Amino acid sequence: MALMNTQDTAHIRNFSIVAHIDHGKSTISDRILELTHTVDERDMAAQLLDSMDIERERGITIKSNAVRVMYRADDGETYQFNLIDTPGHVDFTYEVSRSLAACEGAVLVVDATQGVEAQTVSNANLAMNANLDIVPAINKIDLPSAEPERVRAEIEDELAIPAEDAVCVSGKTGEGIHDLLEAIVFLVSPPSGDAAAPLKALILDSYFDEYRGVVATVRVFDGAIKKGDMLTMMQAGESFLVDGVGVKRPAEVLVDELSVGEVGFIVTGLKDPGAVHVGDTLTYRDRPCAEALPGYREAKPMVYTGLFPIDNKDYENLRDALEKLRVNDPSLVWSPETSVALGFGFRVGFLGLLHMEVVKERLEREFDLDLIATSPSVDYHVYKTDGTMVDVRSPQDLPDVTRIDHIEEPYLAAKVIVPPDYTGAVMQLAIEHRATMTNMIHLSDKSVEMRFDIPLAELILDFFDQLKSRTKGYASLDYEFADYRPSELVKLDILLSGDEVDALSFIVHKDKAYPLARGLCDKLKEIIPRQQFEVPIQGAIGNKIIARSTVKAVRKDVLAKCYGGDISRKRKLLEKQKEGKKRMKAIGSVEVPQEAFMAILKVDE
Amino acid sequence: MTVRALYVHVPFCHAKCAYCDFDSCGLTGERLARVAGAYLAQLESRIDAFGACGALEDVETVYIGGGTPSVLGESLATLVAHIRRWCAPSELTCEANPESFGEALAQRLAAAGATRISLGVQSLDDDELGRIGRLHSARGALAALERARRHGFTVSCDLMCGLPGQTGASWRATLARTVEARPDHVSVYPLTLEEGTPLARRAERDPRLVPDEDFQASCMETAASVLAGAGYARYEVASYALPGRRCRHNCMYWTGAGYLGIGRSAAGMLDGATYLRLRRLFPGGEGDAPTRSVDPRDRVRLVQLDDAAARFDIELLHEREALAEDLMLGMRMTDGVDRALIARAAACMGDGAVDGALRDVCAAGLAAWTDAPDGAAAWREHAPGARLVPTERGWLLGNELYARFWDLATEVS
Repeated sequence: MALMNTQDTAHIRNFSIVAHIDHGKSTISDRILELTHTVDERDMAAQLLDSMDIERERGITIKSNAVRVMYRADDGETYQFNLIDTPGHVDFTYEVSRSLAACEGAVLVVDATQGVEAQTVSNANLAMNANLDIVPAINKIDLPSAEPERVRAEIEDELAIPAEDAVCVSGKTGEGIHDLLEAIVFLVSPPSGDAAAPLKALILDSYFDEYRGVVATVRVFDGAIKKGDMLTMMQAGESFLVDGVGVKRPAEVLVDELSVGEVGFIVTGLKDPGAVHVGDTLTYRDRPCAEALPGYREAKPMVYTGLFPIDNKDYENLRDALEKLRVNDPSLVWSPETSVALGFGFRVGFLGLLHMEVVKERLEREFDLDLIATSPSVDYHVYKTDGTMVDVRSPQDLPDVTRIDHIEEPYLAAKVIVPPDYTGAVMQLAIEHRATMTNMIHLSDKSVEMRFDIPLAELILDFFDQLKSRTKGYASLDYEFADYRPSELVKLDILLSGDEVDALSFIVHKDKAYPLARGLCDKLKEIIPRQQFEVPIQGAIGNKIIARSTVKAVRKDVLAKCYGGDISRKRKLLEKQKEGKKRMKAIGSVEVPQEAFMAILKVDE
Repeated sequence: MTVRALYVHVPFCHAKCAYCDFDSCGLTGERLARVAGAYLAQLESRIDAFGACGALEDVETVYIGGGTPSVLGESLATLVAHIRRWCAPSELTCEANPESFGEALAQRLAAAGATRISLGVQSLDDDELGRIGRLHSARGALAALERARRHGFTVSCDLMCGLPGQTGASWRATLARTVEARPDHVSVYPLTLEEGTPLARRAERDPRLVPDEDFQASCMETAASVLAGAGYARYEVASYALPGRRCRHNCMYWTGAGYLGIGRSAAGMLDGATYLRLRRLFPGGEGDAPTRSVDPRDRVRLVQLDDAAARFDIELLHEREALAEDLMLGMRMTDGVDRALIARAAACMGDGAVDGALRDVCAAGLAAWTDAPDGAAAWREHAPGARLVPTERGWLLGNELYARFWDLATEVS
């Protein structure tokens, strides 16, 4: 196929599409694939680039994906576009930065009805920091409430990006997409690079395929990659023979080579999912380049939870599954953890709670595991009386009170942008979450930027959801790590039928311990099903019981007719109940459902 | 094992009740006559097909259920007479609703050879009846009961607890009036919300309609004590009878007897050998049948899927599964299971597995041995005539009890 042939770099454009969540990035990607005839309209499931089930269900883009489209421009020339999709949620800013490094340009999508929002700003900043050429696009102009001119002014005022040429588009109707493609040709620089130099290529994504081993998405900066090349990963030091080279259109198509400036995938044949590190530089084993590409910033986990298989026999399977997920999610870190209640598992670090949910769901769906996730924790610095400091990421690891001098917890610098009407509501929310306001700037008549210092532990609980609900969805949130600060923290323990359940313990600020203990006891009472005997639930700090509730004993279970036609049905019902019980954990004699261990996230204060 | 019981399904009602998820459709007048006429012709040819090959010879009990069989009117009597051409059951029950069980029908049914009427009374409170979409009043129900008795039928009466708006007082009143009317047999069921029913949909919007488990439990206890006081002995988790008036047909279901089901959605249960003999009458097998060859020792459960008896769902149970099912069903009855059945189960599953289940249910207070109430002893140590029977707790928490025995079907010993 002529279109597949290696192209001179002047006709290549590598770009990402970045946007605030729900501003229509994925729809625009779809329209581009359609307009360039990369896929037939009839084959088009909405939002083609999001291939994982979970992504489609939640309407968010989690993993990045690189697709090649060929565009015959108005100048009569055919251009190779490599469209690199990026995640849109605040948990995944690391993956955004990784994708951007493989691009020369970025299409910045702004919703014509919403205007510039927090992640528009942070993504635009990321793109500008990566020295990308920015193509502003104002989306959703088909909506009656669209205000393209106001948004154009916002882009110029708030982002300092020239916007007179901003393209007005509708991802829904396809209007303006042609203009956008032309703008990409003219505004995004072609890649530079030396085709004759030794290979220098960046691994920007990878996944494990049972039959082909690790498959890596790469961007070639110098040289070229062909099947049969012997390559070395410069950081890992490992070498492999290239088993195949291809591009996604979006179905995989094999090509002869990936040449300078191009983006595509290579089949490494490596059977160890941990062998390939995203961010590593590829070069020829026998003719290496002088130095590796500037490395990616390693993603730092913010939240830690315990992940335990309900069936302890699945421990090794869970470890294997984590290894396999890590190959395309390098931000995943874990270490073994043991719980009296739950047995053997892992303490896993995540970028945020959404990341955690996504990983847990993938582990359960793709690897058929039944898992319990325990209450999220942050990384506390515990200073002991002997002068040493320990990192505590799990309530169970907290040393005895008598050996603690003081504890420090991580703080974030958070930035909230809201319309002025909601500043009071945000202030109230901040007080409830132990946050202190450090600054407030009126950005315009319509938006105020509020800056807070807030403990990470508060933010991960329900701050974001609360913020959205109390501001009717208007607020946006962005944050970064600030520092560690001393804090008066206590360990709240939960007892079921009088026995402490370590996996339900939680580290909390002492002022919040009482209401939280009460809320948690009530919530657990709702979650834990009635059993054959009464189950008292108690919240305690040390030996002191501070809250209690009781799950009453069940008096009758489903009692239905059981005549000839009902017998099979009855048996199936009993089997289904048994399956349901398998998804519960027997702690002592109490059957506890999975969600009980995450009850802390559902306590409404 | 031969065929000892026959179930015939009539999938028509005058109107569907709000809680019902049985296979039935609401029809009246001309339409009912036309649809039911065609359906009955198919039933009769099916009965003839079984009769002609001798499959009905040993039938001791017949049950015509629904739906509401009494909506067929005279045709129901014709159906009863038709069945009697092939067998001479000592018990032949027809289900009926009070509003469609008139004088003429009572007379015709008695003449055709029906012996027992099971009346869908449900409640003797008019407001409660109205709320669940019943077409009869309390008075109509008592009149129908009286009519059935006058024509010499054994009379059973179905009641429900946990109905919308029902109170402890109204439940006691329903029980008192029932006992006063002196049916031979009473069945008591707690209302369950079945998925897809109008009541379940209403309950999604109005949680007050969701039956309260504790209330239902106390209703069940009230029923047990009121009925026992009036001479009705409980013989199954939900069934009470005056002496000698147990429903023999239903007992067949719980004691592993073979039965045939005729009509759409009717279920039959045969041993493998009988099934192999009658197999040509069960074409269009779906489920286990196409993939597993049938052994004469298997148990075969057959559900007719269509009106024409051209499609069947066929489920095969191996000996071990059949024994586990017998234990599970036996524990629904006051008689429980005898040591002989337990011995057969142990021979198939091993002493360890069986003793484990017996110990668990006794320790949980769900069942007890008649000879040694502590239940800790292995089955072999119990007296030859001993039985394992459910306790009071086992009545209300039956699913725990049945599930433990059904586990034996798959448990690795």
